[in-house]
Amino acid sequence: MKALIAFGSIFMMFVLAIPVNADGKDELKQYFSKAANNVKATENADEKREILNESFNNMSKILDQVLSSGLISESDRVGIEQYKATLQEKQSELEGSNGYQRVPDAQLNIFADYVVQDMEQADQMITISVVVLLLIIILIVLLV
Amino acid sequence: MRNPHSRLVKSDLCSMILLSICCTALVMFLSACSAGLPVQRESQKVENDMLAVRYSILFIIHGDSDYLYHDTAGNKYIADEEALAGAKRVAEENPLAEVFIFHQKPMSHFLFFFPLRDGEFYYYLNGRLIANELYWRDQELSNLDIEVDFYNSFRAESQPGTVSMFFYFGHEIPEFAGAGYDASYPDRKFTVHDLASGLKDFISDSIKFDLLVLSTCYGGTPYTIGMLGPYTRTIIASPDNLHLSYFDLNSLDSLEISLQDEDIPAFANRFAQQSFDQLIRDIQTTVSVAVYDVDRVQEYLHSVYTTYESTLNTLNEKTQASLSTIEHCDCADIPEYVLPTMNSGVNVFYRPAIFGRSKSKQNHSGWECWKE
Repeated sequence: MKALIAFGSIFMMFVLAIPVNADGKDELKQYFSKAANNVKATENADEKREILNESFNNMSKILDQVLSSGLISESDRVGIEQYKATLQEKQSELEGSNGYQRVPDAQLNIFADYVVQDMEQADQMITISVVVLLLIIILIVLLV
Repeated sequence: MRNPHSRLVKSDLCSMILLSICCTALVMFLSACSAGLPVQRESQKVENDMLAVRYSILFIIHGDSDYLYHDTAGNKYIADEEALAGAKRVAEENPLAEVFIFHQKPMSHFLFFFPLRDGEFYYYLNGRLIANELYWRDQELSNLDIEVDFYNSFRAESQPGTVSMFFYFGHEIPEFAGAGYDASYPDRKFTVHDLASGLKDFISDSIKFDLLVLSTCYGGTPYTIGMLGPYTRTIIASPDNLHLSYFDLNSLDSLEISLQDEDIPAFANRFAQQSFDQLIRDIQTTVSVAVYDVDRVQEYLHSVYTTYESTLNTLNEKTQASLSTIEHCDCADIPEYVLPTMNSGVNVFYRPAIFGRSKSKQNHSGWECWKE
């Protein structure tokens, strides 16, 4: 039995020889990619809008909870607020508010791609720390 | 009733399995920590049958950060792995080239505690892999010392007329501050000065690179082009954001055909055009690719240097939190940068984002600045 435990421990050590930067950013990117896939999977424009809206709303709620947690630094707060503002811009464009023209039904699929690509741009999340990202991921898992 | 003999045999068997696993682990650890790990080094063998080197290509691929992206089908890609595959393909498909590839990887550990090498070097000659070695990247400074050493010890003797190209793949290279560029070494700084310092050492025999390709976001600023200009004749960079699918390397396949006329500026424009066409096919965010004729942009760079440097000094004094709110913009949107020489020596391929506030912006000067 002891031998099996030792074997298991060594095996896990091999498995866990992972890069240090395999943090929460990947999951955050995955979140919008999944939403885009769901948008493309349906033909109905109203459903597409609902999926996109829901993904923006859920993420905004999560970010609000992180902001109100009191666990974050000033630099994280600025990073999260910037990220939230970027989301808000996209939601405004989707619905046609804040000076935006409403995204036409025929363009909802490419709009979903645009959201994924823009959120994946290198500089978008650079200032959010690993701890805060992990907090966001936990809330995604719990609330979405 | 249990058989004590069988229990003893079982216990012996387990001990042997454990022992062999430990031995394997030890061997792997020792391999990982050995001073040099030549996976393959055939330089002696190929000396006799080598072809003349007409193209010398150097790739530096930064992978020590978040480089995940998705395509429009939802497939996941790691940008540095894709760039590495592209560079290897270029190396294999050009029999008249020598190709150096440096892959800067994230730090990882063996058995939690033992750090593994975080750089991998490939040297191809005449389409064949000659050397593949793991190495330690600089732990404190990031001026590419180690990469320069590899380059100098492997490169073929320089022939007149050899076309040399340098490619950098990674995130935006900071123009100031620079901490946090490497996820594994958050305190280590890397700026455009460090890249320039590396380039200076790569060209120690005073022959400039013919072409430098900066496959990063916001590479087309007056400062970055000014800093890297002394080491190359032509630069291709993206003044705006560049999607992580990077510039397309297909133009480098079969260089003896695509560079038959040895006209590097014309080749650079074809490369930029092809990259632009490839990017606008699937990317909905801004796409910008610019070709800079280093000699011809000097006058403009000199005219705006003081203004730009003053902005950098101001930004350098700001806190990290306030810096994250600073945005880039087209230099043409700032009156001080709008000069008659602004378009001289720059060829810009630009398409605005399909959505967002800037979707109606139809042109880009090719120069990106900081919006203070």
